[in-house]
Amino acid sequence: MATNRTGTAQRPNGATQGKICQFKLVLLGESAVGKSSLVLRFVKGQFHEYQESTIGAAFLTQTICLDDTTVKFEIWDTAGQERYHSLAPMYYRGAQAAIVVYDITNQDTFGRAKTWVKELQRQASPTIVIALAGNKQDLANKRMVEYEEAQTYADENGLLFMETSAKTAMNVNDIFLAIAKKLPKNEQTTGQGGSAQGRRLAEGDAGAKTAGNCCK
Amino acid sequence: MEDCVEDCEEIFSQDGVLLKQAPASHITFVNTIGTLYLSESLNSNKKRFIEWKPNDITVDSDIQDQEWAVVNTIQKRTRTLSGNYPADYQNRIKCIKFNFEEIKSFRVANKSRQISFYDGKADCLCIFGFQHGNSDTLLAILKRMLRISVSKRDKHLYIVYDANFPEFQQLDKSFAELNIQRDSRTLWSVFRNLKDHPYEATFEAFAKVTDYVYRSPEQRDIDDVDKENLNRSISEYENTTTHSQGDYEVVAKVPERKDFPRLRPLSVEQWKGHLNSEGKIEDVESVKTLIFRGGVTPCLRSEVWKFLLDYFPWSSTEADRQKLLATKSDEYYNMKLQWKRMTKVQEDNFSDYRERKSLIEKDVNRTDRTLDFYAGDNNANLQTLNDILMTYIMYNFDLGYVQGMSDLLSPILMLLESEVDSFWCFVGFMNKVIRNFDIDQAGMKDQLSNLHTLLAFVNPQLANYLDTHDSGNMFFCFRWLLVWFKRELSQEDVMRFWEVLWTGYPCENFHLLVCVAILETEKQNIIQNNFGFTEILKHINDLNGKLDMAVMLNKAEGIFYQIKESDHLSDNVRLILGMPLLQTQTSYGSHEQSPFEDSTELSNSTQPCCSVDNVRISPDEVAYERSINSSFL
Repeated sequence: MATNRTGTAQRPNGATQGKICQFKLVLLGESAVGKSSLVLRFVKGQFHEYQESTIGAAFLTQTICLDDTTVKFEIWDTAGQERYHSLAPMYYRGAQAAIVVYDITNQDTFGRAKTWVKELQRQASPTIVIALAGNKQDLANKRMVEYEEAQTYADENGLLFMETSAKTAMNVNDIFLAIAKKLPKNEQTTGQGGSAQGRRLAEGDAGAKTAGNCCK
Repeated sequence: MEDCVEDCEEIFSQDGVLLKQAPASHITFVNTIGTLYLSESLNSNKKRFIEWKPNDITVDSDIQDQEWAVVNTIQKRTRTLSGNYPADYQNRIKCIKFNFEEIKSFRVANKSRQISFYDGKADCLCIFGFQHGNSDTLLAILKRMLRISVSKRDKHLYIVYDANFPEFQQLDKSFAELNIQRDSRTLWSVFRNLKDHPYEATFEAFAKVTDYVYRSPEQRDIDDVDKENLNRSISEYENTTTHSQGDYEVVAKVPERKDFPRLRPLSVEQWKGHLNSEGKIEDVESVKTLIFRGGVTPCLRSEVWKFLLDYFPWSSTEADRQKLLATKSDEYYNMKLQWKRMTKVQEDNFSDYRERKSLIEKDVNRTDRTLDFYAGDNNANLQTLNDILMTYIMYNFDLGYVQGMSDLLSPILMLLESEVDSFWCFVGFMNKVIRNFDIDQAGMKDQLSNLHTLLAFVNPQLANYLDTHDSGNMFFCFRWLLVWFKRELSQEDVMRFWEVLWTGYPCENFHLLVCVAILETEKQNIIQNNFGFTEILKHINDLNGKLDMAVMLNKAEGIFYQIKESDHLSDNVRLILGMPLLQTQTSYGSHEQSPFEDSTELSNSTQPCCSVDNVRISPDEVAYERSINSSFL
C-alpha cells in the first residue's frame, strides 16, 4: 500500500519521481512502553489494547513522502526486556535512525530510555538520528514524567522529542516524519520545500487515526 | 580413458563464491557465483587443485550464450562422461582449475572476504569473493598445505615457496583430466595455446567444457549415453548432502525421505489399557510412542500432561499420586505465601523483586487476551496466571521471570485450570526449556547453532544460501525456539504440538528438526525471492497462523530417519540428536549429558575436535560463534 501512495503522489509530475531513500530505523525502550504499538499504528493504522509482547524481533516497512523524496523506513521492532538486551546491537547496528520509547506514566521507563540513548551514542553509528518518544500520552492524567523534563533532556542530547499516543495516533506519523526530515538524503538540494509538503501530510494525520490512510 | 582421469578427493568446498576476476577469455564467468573446491588427487602424485565452477546449472541466460559464441569456436563437440569414475567426479564439471603448484602468492582482502591468487607473473590467476563467511578456513588449509610466508610489505599477501615442478607439467596433467580426447582438434589447439598462454588456455579449455555442459539441451550435440550420464550426475548432485558442516564439506548422499503419517491421538481406552490395577503405567515406552505418533485425545490431556511434564512420575501408582498431590499443594502454597506476605517496605527495598513483579504484570495483561479464557477486564484467570508466575519467582529466584514464560504457562493453565497443578506442570515444562531463558542467551545461541548444523546436514544448499545472506545465525527462528511455536500455532495445535514434543521422541532436540522441516518448505520462497536477513525474518514471522502442525511433524520425522540412516553421520549431528557417538572425544563429554551442556562445551572449544577421513573438521560451532560475533555484536 505504501507504494500506491508514493505512486499517486509523484507520478503526475513524472520528472520528480526519482529519489528514493531507504533508512533502517530501530525501536528501543523498556518492556511494554508501546514500541510495537507505535509501529503498528504507523505502518498499519491499527491499535491493539493488549498487543502481545515481542519475542525476538519484528520487521516492518513503511514509506512516506517528503517533497520529491520517497523515504522508505525499514523498521526493527525489538523485545524490551533487559534479558534480551544482548541482542540489541544486532538491531541497531547499521541503523540510521532510532526511536527510544518510554511510558510517560512510568518514571523507570524514562530512566531506561536514557540508558538506551547513552548506549546508542556510544555504540551505534555516530550519525544516527535519535528520537525520544514519550508514549501513552492518552494517559496524561497518570503522568509521572513531565514534558519539560523530557524536553530538556532531549535538547541537551540533541534528540528529537515528542509525546505520542499509539492509541489515539497523536504524533505517531509526526515523529517518523520528523526523523525522515532530519535524515540526510543523498543529492539533497533544499530542505525547505520538503517541510511544506511534509507538514501538509502531518496536518492530515493529526485529524485522527490515519496512519493507514496515507497509504490507501 | 581411466588413465587420463584422476580420482579426486574433495578436501574443502565453499559455496557462494563469486568469481571476481579471471583472465579475459573467461570474462563470461566473472560475477558468477559458484563453488570453490579444494581437492586432492587420489593417485600417487597426490596433487592438489583449486577449482571453481558456477553453481547454478539451470540458469543459462541468452546473454551468456551470445557471449560464449565469441569464445566457443567449436560448435559441435561431443564428450562422454561415461566411465567408471566416482559419482563425485561426475558432479564436478570443472570450470576453472589450477594446481597448487601454480600458485606463487595469494592475497586476502576485504575483511577476508576476497582472495586473489597470483601466478608470480604479472597476471592474477583469479579473484574469488566470498559471499558467505570469509576465506579464513580456506586460508587455514592453504597455510597447512603450502609452505608460505607473509609478505613483509603487505601483511595480507602470502608468498608460496617450493614450487618444484615445472608449470607445464602440472598444467598438462590437470588438462588431461578434462578427458577431451574425442575432440582432438580442441585438444591440439589448446595445447598449442598452452605454450604461449598457459593459464588462459587452461581456463579456456575448462570453460568450454562448462559451456558444453551448461548449455540448454537443444543446443547441445550430445548422444543419449552422455545425456543419461549427465542427468544422473545432476540428480545425484541434488540428492547429496555435506558430510560435515562449517567450511569443510565432503559431499555424500543422504537416504531417501520416508513418509510418516500422523496417527490418531491416544484414546481413553488405550490409556486405560496401559494402567494396571494399581493405576501404574505398565509400558511407558508404548504410551509415549502412541503420544508421539498422534498426541493425546483432548479429554485425557489434563491427566496425561502431568506425566509428560514430570509432575507425576511415570512409575507412580494412583495412591502415590494422591499423596503427591497433597504435598505438592502444600509446597506451592508455602511459596505463594512468601511473596504474598511481602510488606510494602520489603518490596521497596527489593528492586529485583519489584522489577520482576512489574514485568509479570505487564505480560500477564497481554498474554492470549484474544482467547475467551483470558478475555475481558478483571478476568480471574489473569490473576491465576499472575500468581503462578509470581510463585515461580520464589521457586526459582535465579531465573525469575523472563518474557516468553507467560506464553508457556498460558495453555497449561487453560487446560488444567487448577492453580497448583498448572504450577507444577509449568515447572516441568520450564525444566525442559530452561536454557531458552539464559541471561546471556547462551542456550538460545546454542540451539540456533545446532539448528544450523542440522540444516547444513539435511539441506546444505539452503544452509549455504542463509550463510551467504547474513542469516547463518538463524536468528529468524528465535521466536519458534523460545516458546516452541506458541506464537505460530493455534491454541489447539500448540497443545498437540507440545505434547508430542514432550515425549522426547524420536530423539533429542526433535523441535530443531521441525524447524528444519519448515525451513525446507520455505526454501524456494526464500531463495527465489533472493531474501536477505530482514526479508527472511519478516517472511518467517509472517508464517504465524499458516503452519500445518501435522505436516511439520510428519516431515520432521521423515528428516530424522533420513539423518539416522545416513552412513556419513557426523558426531556433531549425532550429538545434537542424542545418538551414540562414533568416536569418543573428550571434548564432547559423555552421552549422558544433556545436549545443551554438550553443545556449550563444543561452542567453547576452539580446537578442531574431530577428524573424519583424514580431514580435519573444525566444529561448526566455532564457525557459528564467528557469525554470532559478527552478527549479534
